[in-house]
Amino acid sequence: MKLPLAIASLVVFAVHGVVFYDQFFHKWERYQTAYFDQVRTQTKSDAERNEMNGRSPRIEQIIVTSFGDSRVDRCTTCHIASDDPRFAGHAQPLKTHPYLKELGDVQRNGVWERRHKFNDFGCTVCHEGQGRGLSEHYAHGEDHYWPEPLLGYVTQEPWRKDLLPGLKGKEYMQAACAQCHSEENFAQTPVLNRGRQLFFESNCYGCHRIEGMSDGVLGPELSEAGKKFKIDYLTESIVDPRAGMASSFMPKFNLSPADVKALVIFLKSRRGVNLTETSLSVFRSRLHDAASVSDTKPVAPGAADVVARGKQLVEDRACAACHKIGDKDGGIAPDLSFEALMKDNEWLVDHFKNPRGRMPDSIMPAFKFAVADFEAMTAYLATLKTPPALGAPADTYKALCARCHGDKGDGAGPVALYIDPSPRDLTKVAFMNSKPRDRFVASIQKGVHGTSMPAWEKVLNEQQIQALLDHVESTFVKEKRRELKARKVPEKNPVASAKDSIARGEQTFLARCTGCHGRKADGKGPNSLDMLPHPRNLRNHPFVASLSDQRLLESILYGVQGTAMPPWVDYGLSQREAGDLVNYIRSLTQASARPQLRAGR
Amino acid sequence: MSHPTPTAPAETGERRHFLAWVSSFALAGSAIISALANFVFLKPRATYGAPSRFSIGRPDAFPSGARIAIEQRRICVAREGNQVAVISTTCTHLGCIIGVADTGFACPCHGSRYDQDGNVTAGPAPSPLPWYQVKLAPNGDLEVDTNIQIKPGTYLNI
Repeated sequence: MKLPLAIASLVVFAVHGVVFYDQFFHKWERYQTAYFDQVRTQTKSDAERNEMNGRSPRIEQIIVTSFGDSRVDRCTTCHIASDDPRFAGHAQPLKTHPYLKELGDVQRNGVWERRHKFNDFGCTVCHEGQGRGLSEHYAHGEDHYWPEPLLGYVTQEPWRKDLLPGLKGKEYMQAACAQCHSEENFAQTPVLNRGRQLFFESNCYGCHRIEGMSDGVLGPELSEAGKKFKIDYLTESIVDPRAGMASSFMPKFNLSPADVKALVIFLKSRRGVNLTETSLSVFRSRLHDAASVSDTKPVAPGAADVVARGKQLVEDRACAACHKIGDKDGGIAPDLSFEALMKDNEWLVDHFKNPRGRMPDSIMPAFKFAVADFEAMTAYLATLKTPPALGAPADTYKALCARCHGDKGDGAGPVALYIDPSPRDLTKVAFMNSKPRDRFVASIQKGVHGTSMPAWEKVLNEQQIQALLDHVESTFVKEKRRELKARKVPEKNPVASAKDSIARGEQTFLARCTGCHGRKADGKGPNSLDMLPHPRNLRNHPFVASLSDQRLLESILYGVQGTAMPPWVDYGLSQREAGDLVNYIRSLTQASARPQLRAGR
Repeated sequence: MSHPTPTAPAETGERRHFLAWVSSFALAGSAIISALANFVFLKPRATYGAPSRFSIGRPDAFPSGARIAIEQRRICVAREGNQVAVISTTCTHLGCIIGVADTGFACPCHGSRYDQDGNVTAGPAPSPLPWYQVKLAPNGDLEVDTNIQIKPGTYLNI
């Protein structure tokens, strides 16, 4: 019994000793002692030597009350030589804080004077970190739960090793500069200014709201992004938008690492407050802003320069951040280089005003520009009439189709991710061989309403379309077309649309269709995630309206080969029930076309 | 407990004694350390009051003959030629912040008056104003330590 007792008591003693040592013998005491020693050996004045003899280590702190909440910065406890110019050549922590012209420091008679005195500004106003911390781990904000790690020096969550090198650097501190120097083009924060420029150039403002700057509603508000998120999270969200949330539809912008850094610094500077502003000055500036907005009403341009103005707008508003126009390509949205050949002016104006009116699943933001601006932009797009130079069918496919349908024809082109309904997978033999060729010709000529498939009839003539289809069949489908079985489907819906028919259709829909098409018939049923192509959004008014009764009935009764839609006739669905379903589906889109029901968007 | 060999009892006894010594030493040590640790906590290592040592900027900021009060820090910087001194502006009566007057200092609360050097000339103040140590920090700023009071009339030569 005695041996375990002896061991246990020794362990208790050791633990006590370690805790005691840890609590009462600090690293910072050693740093301060070293500082005193070095000053003693270096100084030539007896007074200072005596003073150093009399000083013993203690917690040094600066209490800053002028910048937001009062701060207690104990950084100088370790960095005790930060304001002693004799220690410029030493290693951290006993190193003089550099004197920098960018910070406004000036040299007079060979002596530097700081613009931002540590006494008044403290340290964490610029560097962030945990001012009260007395160990490196806590003070530098290495602790996972501390919201503000040392800017540009400490990254807390290295879960993405590939991003790490970009997360360090003095530039990140510019985000802190902007807490007071919030003017738009402050010369000392060039990277931040670049980030602000990018926010508009890359059209971030179309989706994201930042108070006083933009009014986007599609993405999360970023007015306080710098307060909520750390730089590692911000960087990841820009570089790989789906890393954090798999369902995010934020496009992956093709930014260079330097641009990503600039954008992150700009976002990190958004904290919703300016440390030098009082609530009164904020109120005053808002009054001023409100006045200036009403002052600058958009001037209605004369007909002559409408096109020029539209061109200017299309360039200024960074449409090419997503779309392709000429040689500028955002790589996210369809090609607008010859838009006039595919869309009429009415469609374009409607689409500008409400992108989801003509294409219910479009991710294009509804920009809040003046109607006159939309008309000018439309006038400009209406001049883009030059058809692309076309060669062999394979080249035609590459030039016109591959952007959405993909080089391999698998419906996974570079922009396919952002297009809903997704582009058709042309390699799905079952689908391609189950539909008459006329239908494909019609889809290419007239486009598919309610989707991103435009009408190509002004770009391609009948022969070119036939050649293109031959190319698709020989390259992607690769199987010989079989004789299609003639199906008995009435041309007109045999059941007249009436209240009781719609009610019956709804019952059938709830019983049989909601698993994939969803209870709202928006194509987002519980099974829809696993299905490619995704089930149709039956509330897509332009699409449903463009379909004949015959086609709807055929798809319901005999299924859509190559997709998850089964032939319901095999499951005992009668033609009358299918007719009720058609009536129900048509009633949905008629209802959703009514303006008062649009509010839910 | 019975042991077959006659030498065993002595050995186990020694071993037991040794272990008992080790245990008591370790436990007593832990107790002493814990007790000492409590004493260390009696005095706070840092408080959130205004810091006692702070810098007040370059000597050039204080022209000769000036007597400039820094109200936040509760001090008055007096400069005569190349000599600088820092005098407290907390009234020694009840702690009001006193103002700088032509003749010296005047307290607005109960009418105490002090001369240029902080000696009481009128009113209820019981003692003269303390002078604080001021020195030239390595970076060229004046540094005041309100923890160290110096003899009135002692100036720092710049």
